[in-house]
Amino acid sequence: MSVIERTTKIYEGSRIPSPIPTILQVDPNEHALDDILTINFGPNHPSTHGVLRLVVDLDGEHVAGLAAVIGYLHTGFEKTMEQKTWWKCITYPERIDYVSFQVNELAFVLAIEKLLGIEVPQKATWMRMCLSEMTRIHSHLVWLGTSALELGAISMFWYTFDDRDMTLDLFEMVCGTRMHTRYFQAGGLAEDIPEGFYEQARAWCKKMPKAIDEYEGILDRNAIWLKRTKGIGLLSADDAIALGQSGPVLRASGVNWDLRKNMPYLAYDEVQFDVPVYSEGDVYARYKVHMDEMRESVRIVSQCLDRLEAMRGEPWIADDRKVVLPPREELHTSMESLIHHFKIVTEGYVVPEGEVYECVESPRGEFGVYVVSDGGPKPWRVKFRAPSFVALQATATCMTGAAIADMIAVVGSLDGVMGEVDR
Amino acid sequence: MALARKLPLLSNRPLARAGLNSERVLMPNKGPGVFEEEIDGIEDALGITTVEKAVAWAQANSMWPDTFGLACCAIEMMSIVSSRYDISRFGMERFSSSPRQADLLIVSGRVTHKMAGPLRQVYDQMLEPKWVIAMGACASSGGMFNNYTVLQGVDKIVPVDVHVPGCPPRPEALMEGIVRLHEKIKAGVPPAYMIRGVAQ
Amino acid sequence: MTAVYEGVPGLVETTGGHGETTLVVDAARIVEACSHLRDEQGFNFLSDVTPTDYLGWGERGVSGYLGTTGGRDLHAPGTQGLPRTPDAKPARFAVNYHLLRLTDDPVRVRVQAWLDDGEEIDSVVPVWPTADWFEREAWDMFGIVFRGHPNLTRILMEDDWEGHPLRKDYPIGGEPVRFSGQE
Repeated sequence: MSVIERTTKIYEGSRIPSPIPTILQVDPNEHALDDILTINFGPNHPSTHGVLRLVVDLDGEHVAGLAAVIGYLHTGFEKTMEQKTWWKCITYPERIDYVSFQVNELAFVLAIEKLLGIEVPQKATWMRMCLSEMTRIHSHLVWLGTSALELGAISMFWYTFDDRDMTLDLFEMVCGTRMHTRYFQAGGLAEDIPEGFYEQARAWCKKMPKAIDEYEGILDRNAIWLKRTKGIGLLSADDAIALGQSGPVLRASGVNWDLRKNMPYLAYDEVQFDVPVYSEGDVYARYKVHMDEMRESVRIVSQCLDRLEAMRGEPWIADDRKVVLPPREELHTSMESLIHHFKIVTEGYVVPEGEVYECVESPRGEFGVYVVSDGGPKPWRVKFRAPSFVALQATATCMTGAAIADMIAVVGSLDGVMGEVDR
Repeated sequence: MALARKLPLLSNRPLARAGLNSERVLMPNKGPGVFEEEIDGIEDALGITTVEKAVAWAQANSMWPDTFGLACCAIEMMSIVSSRYDISRFGMERFSSSPRQADLLIVSGRVTHKMAGPLRQVYDQMLEPKWVIAMGACASSGGMFNNYTVLQGVDKIVPVDVHVPGCPPRPEALMEGIVRLHEKIKAGVPPAYMIRGVAQ
Repeated sequence: MTAVYEGVPGLVETTGGHGETTLVVDAARIVEACSHLRDEQGFNFLSDVTPTDYLGWGERGVSGYLGTTGGRDLHAPGTQGLPRTPDAKPARFAVNYHLLRLTDDPVRVRVQAWLDDGEEIDSVVPVWPTADWFEREAWDMFGIVFRGHPNLTRILMEDDWEGHPLRKDYPIGGEPVRFSGQE
């Protein structure tokens, strides 16, 4: 398997704790049980990952046992979406991984379009790609700000969130709102791209690499940062694949796997970008993967902007009136348009029978949507394969032989968003 | 926040004289809004002395929020700490993880039945006086999720002072909610647990 | 195009659509089939374990919109002019395993096993450790018991919750919306 780049051996064999792969258990032979202190890192704790609960068994500063309790943010997305028509359903996936919202929307909309068999115009494809990459940068900025904050590099929070605000300005310009934009429709985009967007986006593309240089200047060779992240939270390539990891966690363990390159969707095979892979498998490697990915995303965005500027005036949504609303001017003159509009708005469009598994490369890894349709106006079953759900399973393996202070670094580097984990 | 122009005082009631300004800031010709009507009944019972005014001013000007970010609204709550929507100008940048040291509980995000227990525990650990802001549609009323697992409004388990609508509310909207809460406190309105209990 | 896989133990049929391949496998031989796919065919990555409940498939009349007393029957005749209702499914539950071959020649496949209510299926945690939480969630949401799972407990709902929420006969829950000024 040539996707695995073996340059250094991280650790011998597998460190997946068995028999339960996701729980680190206290070895009853090694420790007298009254030496063990069980601590609850409750659902409300200062590290801003949301409502994750970790029950930790401590032997002094050493973590002897670890179990993650989730479900404090279980919103019942899947059951709720079974009650809503397809159009209304598109608002829901965004709230699942609330930091990379447009990527979730993209996955769901791609799944619907696959079932519908509808063809999306080029402009919409490229704009979706552009916004997905901006969302990737948004997500990595939030990740960087909060992870650095937890490890003590508090000033990073203000730097990254300022740039995040600039990114959200671009979203607001195009989609009308900062977060949870609901801009992708089945068939394309909801509205055309406003004129001022290209100029502001280019200014943003110029500023972002300098901002990333600043972040790396603060953290890359900082002695405290290196001490706290190098050699911590090791995960070998074989363990990562066995535990189903994807995204930066997998790439930091030496596996060259990125859905955008290996199984391209949208127009990722027409843009030039590299995929950063590091083989140390520790928290520092995951940090470097995130930083390099941000630079590559800026590259992709500028290439998208070049293509989009050339496509001014082209349609941004498909023409299929059974699924897509007709333009409002037509409603005054055409009876068929009026009827189509009425049926789509009141009853919604129907998606033909079938099942499809569509996945995209979210900033956290492989975000998959499994949709089953019975040919009716509402989904029969929607399942979201959340990468953070899988990443949290690897916490026990990463924490083998680590100290309590490393736990924050490890949980932060696995980049878990609890909305995704609990759905 | 000094205003550049003097706004007409539309009422001679004690709270307006004490400086309650919220709705009149935006719409000077509008009559009393829901907010004013709500506090109409308790206005007469309040007697605002200088000492109480001083205490209220101190409470409002350095209220420490508790880190209770749950979901998407938490990301927008984090962005009011950032440099663009600086909440430090209100003295509130010190988010306290320990509820014992926190004054304000900003419930940001959907609250599930599983999380309702810890939420009430955190609220109980806060020392009086304490205020609660229900941020976002999910905390105010369950939002877009009306199902078996989401609590339909956090005011079912804790008394709420200010509801901030939005999904998620813009940082400016949350600031508006916080500023209104400050005005309430400075005008002498007691915290919600003294006026009302939880919704039924 | 549907790919063809030779020698998968317990293979009942191979279906597909929209560029995807689905291998329908006998539920009693699921661990053999998965081990074969992992070892012989190179599917070393388990993406997802998803059960689906097909109770009421093809019938008209799903639960109506929330908040109305009578509900709204969106499947009433004449609403969308579909020529037929869908074909019946072999059993009530389908457990889908989404596999991926993580190599230079990546391929996805879906393995599907059909179960009736109350039937159990073997856990694939020995084959791919990542199936641990997926199967816990499947049990929590659907009530499907995975034999041999090391820790089959509630994961998303509370520990003492009764019922399995994502089943079709479990109500959506929630409350009627109240407006201010009522009562």
